[in-house]
Amino acid sequence: MTLIATRPGPGAARPYRFPQVVRRSAAGGQVVAAHLPGQNLAVALLLLDAGAGREPVGKEGLGGVLAKALEEGTAQRDGTAYALAIEALGTELVTGLDWDSFQVSVQVPVDRLSAAVALLAEAVRTPRLDPADVLRVRDDEATALRMDWANPGPRADAVLRADLFGADNRWGRPMYGDPASVAALDVDDVTVFHSEWFIRPGTLIVAGDLDRIDLDALAATAFAGSGGGPVVKGEPIEVPLAGRRKVILVDRPGSVQSTLRLGHPSPHRAHPDHVPMTLAGTVLGGAFTSRLNHLIREVRGYTYGIRGDFASSRRFGRFGISSGVQTAVTAPALVEAVGEVSRTQATGVTEDELAVARSWRAGQLSVELQSPRAIASALTTLVVHDLPDDYHARLREALLAATVEEVSAAAAAHLHPDSLTLVVEGDAAVIRDDLVAAGLGEVLDHTA
Amino acid sequence: MPDSGYPWPIETTRLDNGLRVVVSEDRTAPAVAVNLWYDVGSRHEPDGQTGFAHLFEHLMFEGSVNVAKTEHMKLIQGSGGSLNATTNPDRTNYFETVPAEHLELALWLEADRMGGLVPALTQETLDNQRDVVKNERRQRYENVPYGDAWLRLLPLLYPPGHPYHHATIGSMADLNAADLATFQAFHTTYYAPNNAVLTVVGDAPAAEVFALAEKYFGAIPARAEIPAAPDGRSVPPAGQPATETVVADVPAPRVYLAHRTHPYGTPGYDVTTVLATVLGTGRGSRLYQRLADGERIAQPDLVGAYGVDLAYAPAPLIATATARPGVDAERLRAGLAEVVDELATVPVTAAELDRAKALLSTQWWRHMSTVDGRADVLGRYATQFGDPAKIGERLPGWLAVTAGQIAEQAAELLGAADRATLTYLPEEQS
Repeated sequence: MTLIATRPGPGAARPYRFPQVVRRSAAGGQVVAAHLPGQNLAVALLLLDAGAGREPVGKEGLGGVLAKALEEGTAQRDGTAYALAIEALGTELVTGLDWDSFQVSVQVPVDRLSAAVALLAEAVRTPRLDPADVLRVRDDEATALRMDWANPGPRADAVLRADLFGADNRWGRPMYGDPASVAALDVDDVTVFHSEWFIRPGTLIVAGDLDRIDLDALAATAFAGSGGGPVVKGEPIEVPLAGRRKVILVDRPGSVQSTLRLGHPSPHRAHPDHVPMTLAGTVLGGAFTSRLNHLIREVRGYTYGIRGDFASSRRFGRFGISSGVQTAVTAPALVEAVGEVSRTQATGVTEDELAVARSWRAGQLSVELQSPRAIASALTTLVVHDLPDDYHARLREALLAATVEEVSAAAAAHLHPDSLTLVVEGDAAVIRDDLVAAGLGEVLDHTA
Repeated sequence: MPDSGYPWPIETTRLDNGLRVVVSEDRTAPAVAVNLWYDVGSRHEPDGQTGFAHLFEHLMFEGSVNVAKTEHMKLIQGSGGSLNATTNPDRTNYFETVPAEHLELALWLEADRMGGLVPALTQETLDNQRDVVKNERRQRYENVPYGDAWLRLLPLLYPPGHPYHHATIGSMADLNAADLATFQAFHTTYYAPNNAVLTVVGDAPAAEVFALAEKYFGAIPARAEIPAAPDGRSVPPAGQPATETVVADVPAPRVYLAHRTHPYGTPGYDVTTVLATVLGTGRGSRLYQRLADGERIAQPDLVGAYGVDLAYAPAPLIATATARPGVDAERLRAGLAEVVDELATVPVTAAELDRAKALLSTQWWRHMSTVDGRADVLGRYATQFGDPAKIGERLPGWLAVTAGQIAEQAAELLGAADRATLTYLPEEQS
């Protein structure tokens, strides 16, 4: 056996390139496109400033109900005819929602793109929104959420979010709503939300072979009949840190694992520390060899996986850790996870760890940005956060240039182990005593 | 639309030790996908060793003679790459996509764990990864509603002794009993160059890849005797339906109907693929139109049908629906069965067929739109059909399926006597 013992070094690095970005104003809206020469598939995505952050308090889940209601028929055809028309092109209407935006998209062979965009616009701009259909969709969505909430995770997520951001605020409630909030929506909620947010032109994102795509014609289709001016995006929200660490126990009798959701508030997306904070999060909980996954999975075997990161939207952010651990080791897993947050906050990162984090994050900008869908998603980031065409190239440089001092300083400033809320969804009768004995903070029982 | 489903170059070679190497150059992006298919899956596992192929997959990340424990992940991610591995009944695959200048590193790592895993394998590593896999089982199968459906469907479809009878995740008892010597022997037996296909897709020329493959893998010896899995190609018809009803902590009644069809890669399974799309993909599908929209007995987000792409025995076709509030399981089951039965009696229209083919075409090109997607399928075709170029035949195969073939297959294979039915009932309704 003569395996080669010496690890090879890298070859000559190829220059990084993000696809050429084209921006233009057309037909009353904005178009942002990426040129993918030779690509047989194309994605078109209409980006509307109608994310969950636009939903009134008490109306959580409105965007999700409207998304489904769009396909229940349009001014031109009923729901069945619509489904058959769009699926005959080889695509479904894909909708998505986050705090900052509502997205609706199609993905088709490039020669079918204009027909697909026409159907997309028909659903977004001229949905029928028949009251009986809206109520049925609402009931179906409430049922779908109830199904989802039978899994471990959604309840813990909601409890953590409410504790971090306050349940009186829209951003302190679940992004997609909960079964009760959706069930309480009425027809007017849906039609008013549509007229307020879905008639504005928005931005048309296109990823595909632009030599075979007429962007002006697509824009004319996507923005036909739209109107209304730009809207204020809203300032970042000041979210106070908790004065003490605490444990909130969500009972799930008979659970063979405890679902862990740990977190505290962190800066919004445009904060100047975004890059070093992202890297600190990568060292602590992002990469496979991160401190959390190494200790709790690879050394202890407590879990199939554990991860932690900083996530941010235009107006707020949070640091979070999530995992599922075997019931019997719930308390030690929490103690060790909090220990790693404390250690990282107090002593920063090492060059060895940071080298992995920066190369990984930088490399992902080529490795994970291949498909039209992934490129379209990268373009939405540019639009939602007002970033320049060369953002991805600049981000790559910033990641590779980040120093141990900068990343350690970001960890020190933005990790708050003593302000963590530790939500544990598991078999309370089995784990409560251990959690109290662990001394991580007061143990509170969540009462639904 | 191209005539072939694979309009990129494919070049192949075979090293003296039997390792097949497949290269498909594409310089669009400065990235390269490296993929290894080992021809070993849970179908090779004897009684008492269920879950071993998958647990072994975990051990492959824990170090080899020249790679320290956990270093594999660190080196790939530290190069900017993405990586993973999966095990299914048929095979185990390992893959990473890296910026192109790190191709050689990826090949070195793969060669080291192909040729040098056994000396690095320790009891401590085995114990740790056994715990990780048991947590994987809890997280994915035991702690979620309906999570064990696949584990229950397989024994309904395939009799004891059949290579697909048991699920890849294995049983807790077998995992607990796993000993180090068995895993050392497992590697020696199956992780041989002549039982693997190395595929490289992306920003790397074939000649360079072939030379690097020889450099890193060339000295690994072939293994003379690699035991075959039990032959599962002919499954005797049960002659009567198989049914199982589970009362569990689930939020609504759910029904799965399953049938054995044809092995993946055959013209018959192309028919199954199109049939499943007509039946259960999208709002225009028969199941959605009939059960979610028409009779309104099924939850719209949870109705569907799909084939499971297994190649060494008649592969499963599964249709499923979950009840709307107020609908009982029997009504749902009857509705689901009626729609499946009608595939034999109500001809698929031209519009239905075109819709299914359009959706499948997009799905195919989406899969082909990344170098890692292409590498995995090339590895599959080289491993399972002996020729990666056969990849180009799949999409045309789907597009050639006729309505008559769908009705014929439904009549032949989807009858009630050959049906496995799995029903979940919420505890309070029992």
